[in-house]
Amino acid sequence: MKCYREEEAVDYCIVGVGSAGAVLLQRLARAGFKVVGLEAGPFWDTERDWVSDEAGSHQLYWTDLRITGGSDPIALGENNSGRGVGGGSVHWAAFVPRLHPSDFRTYTEDGVGCDWPISYKDLKPYYELIEREMPAAGPAWFTWGDPHGYPYGPHPMGGVGDTLVRGCTKLGIRVCAGGPVAILSGSRADRPHCIYRGFCIQGCKVGAKQSTLISHVPDAIAHGAEIRDRSMVARIHLGPNRRVNAVTYFDRDGREHVQRARAIIVCGYAIETPRLLFNSACPGFEQGLANSSGLLGHYLMVQAGNVVAGRFPDLVRLYKAPPAHAMTEEFYETDPKRDFARGFAVQTVGPLPIAFAKQMAKAKGAWGWGLREVMMDYNHWSTLGVLGEILPAYDNKIELAEEKDDFGLPVAHVTFSLHENDHKMIRFAVKKVEEILLAAGAKEVVEEQRYAHLVGAARMGTRPENSIVDGFCRTHDIANLFICDGSVFPTQGSANPGLTIQALAARTADYLNQQGEAIFTSSHVSREKPPVRRDLSPPVTFGSGVPRV
Amino acid sequence: MPGATLRELETAVVAEAEAGRMQRSLALLAGLTSGLSGLEVGYMHYRAGFGQRIMWTPIVMTQALQAAGIAAAIQPKLARTLLPAVSALTAVDCATGWFFHIRGIARKPGGWRLIVPNLAMGPPLFAPLLLGISAYLGILAARLQPEFSSASVPAGLRESIERHLCLATGIAALCSGGEALYSHHKNNFRYWVQWTPIAVAPALAAAAFARRGPRWLLPALSVAAMADGAAGFGYHARGILRRPGGHKHLIYNILYGPPVLAPLLFAACGFFGLLATALRGK
Repeated sequence: MKCYREEEAVDYCIVGVGSAGAVLLQRLARAGFKVVGLEAGPFWDTERDWVSDEAGSHQLYWTDLRITGGSDPIALGENNSGRGVGGGSVHWAAFVPRLHPSDFRTYTEDGVGCDWPISYKDLKPYYELIEREMPAAGPAWFTWGDPHGYPYGPHPMGGVGDTLVRGCTKLGIRVCAGGPVAILSGSRADRPHCIYRGFCIQGCKVGAKQSTLISHVPDAIAHGAEIRDRSMVARIHLGPNRRVNAVTYFDRDGREHVQRARAIIVCGYAIETPRLLFNSACPGFEQGLANSSGLLGHYLMVQAGNVVAGRFPDLVRLYKAPPAHAMTEEFYETDPKRDFARGFAVQTVGPLPIAFAKQMAKAKGAWGWGLREVMMDYNHWSTLGVLGEILPAYDNKIELAEEKDDFGLPVAHVTFSLHENDHKMIRFAVKKVEEILLAAGAKEVVEEQRYAHLVGAARMGTRPENSIVDGFCRTHDIANLFICDGSVFPTQGSANPGLTIQALAARTADYLNQQGEAIFTSSHVSREKPPVRRDLSPPVTFGSGVPRV
Repeated sequence: MPGATLRELETAVVAEAEAGRMQRSLALLAGLTSGLSGLEVGYMHYRAGFGQRIMWTPIVMTQALQAAGIAAAIQPKLARTLLPAVSALTAVDCATGWFFHIRGIARKPGGWRLIVPNLAMGPPLFAPLLLGISAYLGILAARLQPEFSSASVPAGLRESIERHLCLATGIAALCSGGEALYSHHKNNFRYWVQWTPIAVAPALAAAAFARRGPRWLLPALSVAAMADGAAGFGYHARGILRRPGGHKHLIYNILYGPPVLAPLLFAACGFFGLLATALRGK
């Protein structure tokens, strides 16, 4: 791997090498820029560091101190933040549905949330590109939103998918089998296909599940990018002319370093990005860097991720097959017949025994011998997850807490509460999933309330008064500071955000490439749409898969 | 033969076959079995995401061979030029495919040391060979004469083709039976009827390879294989419709249900046997 000197100003310093950071790193390196990626977590050796074991995989999550509050607090760590090169994509289940065209215009169409500064059409070519780079496996015809096909064929289904398909078919609900999921259904280049062991969210030792660690990072390094792992960025420095010029970070031994850069891209995800910007407050930006609007940290969103479990007389074996392998988006859009705006998706989830035991302890209040009895039935349960759109709210926010981490940096304080529309949506969604499970033949149904995914808190928008970044992820206040991760989402839809995060990163990279030196030398903000660069994809992208329908 | 009854037509066709004039039938058979195999290859390779570009070649070759077979049945000149050329190319493609399938099995975790699960879960070992049989028939057809022509086929050549056709029948039966063995093993032989192709296939192969024995054995076993294939097709179709989502998820269920075309390929082995019997004469 190439090594840059700290005193030498690199072109781009990327903070956080996760879903978005790695895609940016790879594309900018391929385009010939000097790029350094700073990652707080380790650079995983997948063979040595990962295990096909639930309890042994906790190091994949960001479990540092964070304070959570509000009337409906979010559980932080396991199912939302990643730590290490690859970030959350290392432990995501890899469901890759696209956002719908309506997601970009919720305010115009439904009078809720807010409109994105970009449209579905702007992102579509990048969806197509990233789906090939992953590659995504799914049906040849995915019928919801903007209908499209996937480059790799769908996966065979496990028992959970079977129950979803059976229940939906009985109720006349359209359902999609075998994807869409960023897991190889056939081998590609040096990556073998899925072998259906069910350890996707433990990192996937096999290499069948996409994480940016295996799909983009190797190509980034091959093209001269440097990744410094276990490097916790503490603050971003503002230089003259309201331009950032360096970051301070702590290395694995706690030593402080300063890396100079001509432009900085923050890809720390929805909690660490605002936290870093708050911690980088300085004269001129006392409320936090790039926060002239005062909206930094606000409009944090999670999706409703309620899990509904049904017990079946026959064996289901929910651990077999990837957790993500069938879904329906039939209830995704606003339906005037319902008493709430926007909607939800229903997806398969396949908790392994520890996760399942936790769910059952919460859902059934099972404890002691009772919990053991439930666990003896593990193979008879099927679990379906709601993925519901919680609307952005100003009072759902991230601030700095009094407490400090090991480096002496104030930690994040997360406040989250559900609102009326969210409560109505969750109630309806859970009832619908219960109906599906009962139609499939479940004899008992229980529900656990939980959340999934974290987005928002540095939203994109058209004006500096209503947002932190513009449609190309450039901060309104500082011309050479970019934020590119899930935190820029103004609304979140009922789709898993991973694909959209990577697609946004690819689009931002094209913009940066088109702007070239202007990013480093000029404060003029161009709004010109960049051409889609297919030549920046990793080398094996176009050598396999089927033509799109 | 306008005005001929079905019985007269059958007698005439059998007489033509005994004379070695069956080029059209054999070319058509090569083309149609190739088309059938092509469908099977198509959805199996789609299931594997066309992870290697070479996986597109059998799709192209099967369609080409199907077109060449049909064209040869219509135009005898093409049966001696286009058909053997396309068949030879297809045969090369099949050999290449067989190599890659063997490599695919060897590459699976445990390789040949875990032969049973890796045979069952890896790329189908015998499938490329089955497609090769269609190519083989195409090459054979080029050597014969078209039906109802005045040309005669030398006795030596007729016997030689008959031996080749027996060989093709035997190999195809073994390959198809092998596929049935590990596919049904994968399903734990849930129904007793899944044993029938396992029993019929080696018997048919033995009858086809044997140069002695009762004359009725090969046709009898050929008919048994065809009946078994037809019944298998019914069972497989039923299996697909019984899957979650049934006919509403027809494409997905064909993709991951019991292989619906495989029993028909087994039935085709029986048909090869009948042709060989006809060529053998009285």
